[in-house]
Amino acid sequence: MQRKQAVLQGLLLAGLLLPALAHAGWTRSWVIEWNEPAMYYGADSGVIDPGSDCPAGTNPEIDWVEVLVRAGYSRAEAEWLRDPANPTRSPRNGQNQMAFRGEGRANVYTHPETYPDPGLTGVSGDIGEGFDLDGDPGNGFVSPEGERGIDNAFYRTLGCWKTYRGPHRLSGGALTFNDAMRNGGWTMVIVASGEGDDERNDDNVRVGIYLSEDKLVKGGNGEIVADYTFRIQPHQVFEGIFAARTEGGVIHSTEPSPRVVLRDPSFTRELELLQARLRLTMQADGSLQGLIGGYRPWMPVYQGWVDARGPVIESLTWVELPGVYYALQRGADYSPPGSDGERTHISYALRVDAVPAFVMEPDASREVAQVRSYRDVAEEDNYKAPFAGYVVNGIVPDRSGKYYAGPDAVILPPQSGE
Amino acid sequence: MFSRTILTLVCLTVGGSLSGPAARAADIAKGAEIYQSACKGCHEVSIGPPLAGVVGRPVASEPGFGSYSDALKERRSLVWTKDELDHFLAAPREWIPGTLMMQTVPDAEERAALIAYLETLGSGSDVEEGTAALSIDQPVIVAVRRLNESQYRNSIRDIFGADIEIKARFEPERREEGLQAVGNSDLSMTSAGFEQYFGLARSIAAQVLDPARDNALAACSQAGSMDEQRECTEAFVGHYGERLFRRPLTSEERAVRVHTALESAARDGDVRQGLQLALTSLLAAPEFLFRIEMAEPDPGNPGALRLDGYSRAARLSFLFWNSAPDEELLAAAATGKLYQADGLQAQVARLADSPHYEEGVRAFFSDLLQLDGFDNLVKDPAIYPKFSQVVADSSREQMLKTLVDLLLVQQRDYRDIFTSNETYINRALAAVYRVPYPADTAWAPYTFTPDSERAGLLSQVGFLSLFAHPGTSSPTRRGIKLHEIFMCEPTPDPPADVDFSKVKDSKAGTVRGRLLDHMENTGCVACHRRSDPPGLALEHFDGLGQLRKYENGQLIDVSATLNGVAFVGAGGLGQLLRTDERIPACLVRNVYAYSAGQLPAPEQAEFIRRSTREFAGDGYRLPGLMQRMAVAPAFFNVLVPEGLAATGANARDAGATGR
Repeated sequence: MQRKQAVLQGLLLAGLLLPALAHAGWTRSWVIEWNEPAMYYGADSGVIDPGSDCPAGTNPEIDWVEVLVRAGYSRAEAEWLRDPANPTRSPRNGQNQMAFRGEGRANVYTHPETYPDPGLTGVSGDIGEGFDLDGDPGNGFVSPEGERGIDNAFYRTLGCWKTYRGPHRLSGGALTFNDAMRNGGWTMVIVASGEGDDERNDDNVRVGIYLSEDKLVKGGNGEIVADYTFRIQPHQVFEGIFAARTEGGVIHSTEPSPRVVLRDPSFTRELELLQARLRLTMQADGSLQGLIGGYRPWMPVYQGWVDARGPVIESLTWVELPGVYYALQRGADYSPPGSDGERTHISYALRVDAVPAFVMEPDASREVAQVRSYRDVAEEDNYKAPFAGYVVNGIVPDRSGKYYAGPDAVILPPQSGE
Repeated sequence: MFSRTILTLVCLTVGGSLSGPAARAADIAKGAEIYQSACKGCHEVSIGPPLAGVVGRPVASEPGFGSYSDALKERRSLVWTKDELDHFLAAPREWIPGTLMMQTVPDAEERAALIAYLETLGSGSDVEEGTAALSIDQPVIVAVRRLNESQYRNSIRDIFGADIEIKARFEPERREEGLQAVGNSDLSMTSAGFEQYFGLARSIAAQVLDPARDNALAACSQAGSMDEQRECTEAFVGHYGERLFRRPLTSEERAVRVHTALESAARDGDVRQGLQLALTSLLAAPEFLFRIEMAEPDPGNPGALRLDGYSRAARLSFLFWNSAPDEELLAAAATGKLYQADGLQAQVARLADSPHYEEGVRAFFSDLLQLDGFDNLVKDPAIYPKFSQVVADSSREQMLKTLVDLLLVQQRDYRDIFTSNETYINRALAAVYRVPYPADTAWAPYTFTPDSERAGLLSQVGFLSLFAHPGTSSPTRRGIKLHEIFMCEPTPDPPADVDFSKVKDSKAGTVRGRLLDHMENTGCVACHRRSDPPGLALEHFDGLGQLRKYENGQLIDVSATLNGVAFVGAGGLGQLLRTDERIPACLVRNVYAYSAGQLPAPEQAEFIRRSTREFAGDGYRLPGLMQRMAVAPAFFNVLVPEGLAATGANARDAGATGR
């Protein structure tokens, strides 16, 4: 394995040093127009309906008054906190006090361990999409095509959360984040280059996934238009390079890519994948569809939801975030080298739909002819913070100080005559 | 509009009961109207033979016309007597079965009038026989043309500054003889439209006199005595009045606005408010909103009229800059320099040397190519998902950038627009053309590759998408527009009883086959055999202008034959058009019609022919053509309006006396 990685690194270096000399025999390029966690959907229709994946449907809607009472609030306080007339539930303040339901009214978003595991219903079906990351066919899902050993613990853990559940391109989370991407939030392009004569059957292929600052463009039918031009934006973080082959028009990674970082369609922003694989099919219409998978760190996933404003996420998507925390911790199935055996990563797969596009070198001078890394030419300061909103510890504090939420907040308003 | 109304009144006044020559003149006039509406559409654009001299001519004997039907050819022994024409016009296909002539004139009186008119064609007869005698001794209005939106915007920008915001919905334009510039000569203004202009006038006046703007003339508020204030107000009204009306104000025009301003200032104690009222009045005046062209007796040519100096200035300025005359041009008009060859030459050279010249050229081609159509272009998103308003706007801009670069910057042969593969693209257009966009700027020069099959303006997405249907291409529409725009040959509307169902069935075969089926209708053949071949050569481009080889699974044939010349594809069509003599002649006609707001009159035919010859002699370069035409005396020739005695009342009605 180490030898293969050394060979790969050598190839990467060669690519860096001789980009103009080593022309690819063919190059194809696409822009990602849709991507979502690969969550196999086992129902016929709808998001919350029972199916083979989630026999009880999604996690049920939560009675927050009871949650707060269990957390030590009086019923009157709990009902006041959930009363729409309560000014602390204004859009500005959300239900900030909901954060403080841990032991000693600790903030459960920043300290989920202070809160007893409320549980999160996971996937109980056998079918799942992704890759056999650990090489053990006896461990994991069976793919829809019948491949055994599919490792996708992320799906097993969160697949019955209504944010993620739904038919292809119809889950609430996928719609939300792809809308953001398709409206110009970010762009990722895919380039494949090979050295043979037949792009559909080539043993020596490389695939690069890059960021671009050029925005996606929608056509008259609302779909992303093919054939637009995108310049690669060299980035120190976001990039993925894969060694691959094509077989009958399907691009397979030939060995795991040690580390790639894609733009995650979620609040997490960075989708870091270790031991990454891909399987992408070149369709007859020129588009590209398939999966990219690997092990991703699970803590940033949890943190992404916290940073997206915990109380709002909990109320709208019917989960308790501490439950997500515990579930991800339980579901984690990978310990990267040097992590002392702690399972910090969870197996994951991303569905990708891409349309043909022209991908240019960063200076727009010519089309990319061969896949290579651009990290070495990325500017140092172009890394963006994960989340730019004014969220502190999972809540949006009232900057005026009028509505205070915290462990010692006075919940009920003074009674008249007091 | 004013002039036509006045003309009508004058004609009514001099009319009365008719007899003898007057009655014959009335017949001829009526026949001329019938000719215009029923005959001209085909017989002046080579669909039917020319009708000059037809009365008394053997059937199917016009030597320059090669498209006679077999039915007419077989009757060459006949002569078009008045009687024969009467039978034929009453029911052409009954009188001569197999003729391609589809127009009927069922009414006997109308036939008689038409034949009377046809008798005058080519015979030198004067249709104006019996009209009133003219007496030309005072200025007369010879044209009234509403400013279009871009002219309005440019005028405001150039007079008051680019920071003035113009937020309004403008009155719709109308195209006649292929040009909105001609249609604007016939436009009035609706009450709703006037409200818009009035609101806009108030808005602009308020912005101009905003205290935050550094406006020296608005410093009237600082004036001390009443005399100083009057002096300042008169200067303000005089300055902006002259720029807006494109001529000095008359004393009455100035006095009424100065009075309004001073009265308001005295009443409200706010000088700016008064000036704002005066400026609003100027901006809402017909003299600003309409270009009123005045003619005056020509001292060097007794009995004739010539365009006056200020009207010349405006005609030049709107042609070259698409905006109102600047102060230097108005000064040249005031000092009579625009009547003098060297003075005129100097001003035309200055206009053509200005960066604003590009705006004039863009405005001309926007009108000529009917690019206003992009404002409401619709495509079926299910069929053409790449289409969007961005693509529409980009397509328009591509055509204009291409023309400006070829004709103005490179000063290339005008006919190169049909063959050149040089253009500009942006990111949106690159996607439609399915090519990478190799630049990090908004637009970049681009050269179409040979395998793109594109050559010239007609193969750009703009022309191809504008002249197609929402869900399909249209060889007929593309061919019709090609003839109309570039050859000055309009096509008449189709007969009312045509069955279009076969053509519209876009799921069946290629459009070539569907059109052939359609042309089984003999009433359609005459026009389609002219319009369709160029369009069929462009069929490798779908309704959005995207390259394709197949339609409904069938290979598309882009070979065509026009006037006996075979050609293939857009490249072949471009080469064919490049050698077509009608094309430069049509451009010359359109440059004149665009600037004058009317087609050249028969009296100006020699001017147009000479200009065309000089255009050819100069290598068909547009700047040379425009400058030569603009300094030619004939460019400012004014025809005496038919039946119109030039009276002082005419001029007074338009508020233009006292100049």
